[in-house]
Amino acid sequence: MATSEGFQFPKEHSFPPFYTPQINLSTRHAQLTKWSSLILSYCRHHSIYRLSLSDATNSPSSPAYPLFNNEAINRRLSPSYVKEIVNFMKKDGRAEWYGSDKNEGGGGDVVWIYWRTPEEWAGVVEGWVEETGNKGQVMTVYELTEGETTRGSEFWGLDQELLIKAIQVLAKKGRAQTMGGEENLGVKFF
Amino acid sequence: MGGNSSKITAQDQAIYDLKLQRDRLHQYQRRITHLTTRETEIARTLLSQGDKARALLALRRKKYQESLLAKTDQQLEQLEKLVSSVEFALIQKDVVFGLQQGTKVLKEIHAEMGGIDKVEKLMGETQEEIEYQKEVSEMLGGRISVQDEEEVEEELARLETELAPKAATSKVAEPVAMLPSVPDTELPEVGEGRRQEAAKLVGEERREAIAA
Repeated sequence: MATSEGFQFPKEHSFPPFYTPQINLSTRHAQLTKWSSLILSYCRHHSIYRLSLSDATNSPSSPAYPLFNNEAINRRLSPSYVKEIVNFMKKDGRAEWYGSDKNEGGGGDVVWIYWRTPEEWAGVVEGWVEETGNKGQVMTVYELTEGETTRGSEFWGLDQELLIKAIQVLAKKGRAQTMGGEENLGVKFF
Repeated sequence: MGGNSSKITAQDQAIYDLKLQRDRLHQYQRRITHLTTRETEIARTLLSQGDKARALLALRRKKYQESLLAKTDQQLEQLEKLVSSVEFALIQKDVVFGLQQGTKVLKEIHAEMGGIDKVEKLMGETQEEIEYQKEVSEMLGGRISVQDEEEVEEELARLETELAPKAATSKVAEPVAMLPSVPDTELPEVGEGRRQEAAKLVGEERREAIAA
């Protein structure tokens, strides 16, 4: 079992057939499920919010490279199969093609990995706001992800775009209101 | 962005602007910190290459950037202070507003009561009414109604009939199983005249009691 910075890969990761798309439908489904949960737990462990698929499969510098490449058994996941896994995860709401919500077509190279969906992040943020008495306060997104007040909270260091997505969920529920431009968004919690 | 802007007040906007400034300073600091670490590295490599003069220059640059960093630290502190004082002032405003509301309501309630004079007058009137009520009660208490008198008489008779057989049984001292005997005492005949007499008697008793 290979480890990558404290992450314990499951047994399947060292099992060569795991890297070959299975023909049998039910086996294929089980394989897809395994891969998706592996990707989610790996990204959760390394706080990865979005992946560039070409980087993750080809470039050893990518943090997700050990996920799709197991050099110990000389196996790697093909980019097309990664794409299929991502589409499989998308059905569960656990992945989303980057930019697909902005009518940029989607299906590109970068993909959101939602080990927490924007809705779930919205819940985390809301809980934090409630707990720290920041209701009715104005905060900047930068402050939320990089500031001193949120250091130690779960969304500290969170991808800003993802946080903005979560805030928009809150705004839709009437629990927050955004202000300012896209670049330095501010938010008031209710 | 942001649907209705009604919930964002001018103060919110001001705090937001302040916080944006602070964020920018924060980012600036990060950049400078990054630069200083890089200058140190540059100085080190230059020195290993024997280029002392340029290494010195790099270190000077680093020193300058560090002084900038200290300055921005102070500015950041100022901004943070300002943000928190604005926030605190907002809270104070809320408190004052709350106090104002409370005082207003209190004033309204007092106005509805109509001042001390009115209350005093009201208390006097109440006292008067109580006195009057007492008088009326006294006057009424002097005269028991005919019906009441009849009831009193009836009760007396009943008590007598209850007591009479008991007295009889205690004399005989017969076993408990004995049925109560029919009362042999005659019911007192109450005439119209006697009744009035009794009423007068009771009335006098009452008056005495009250006087006492």
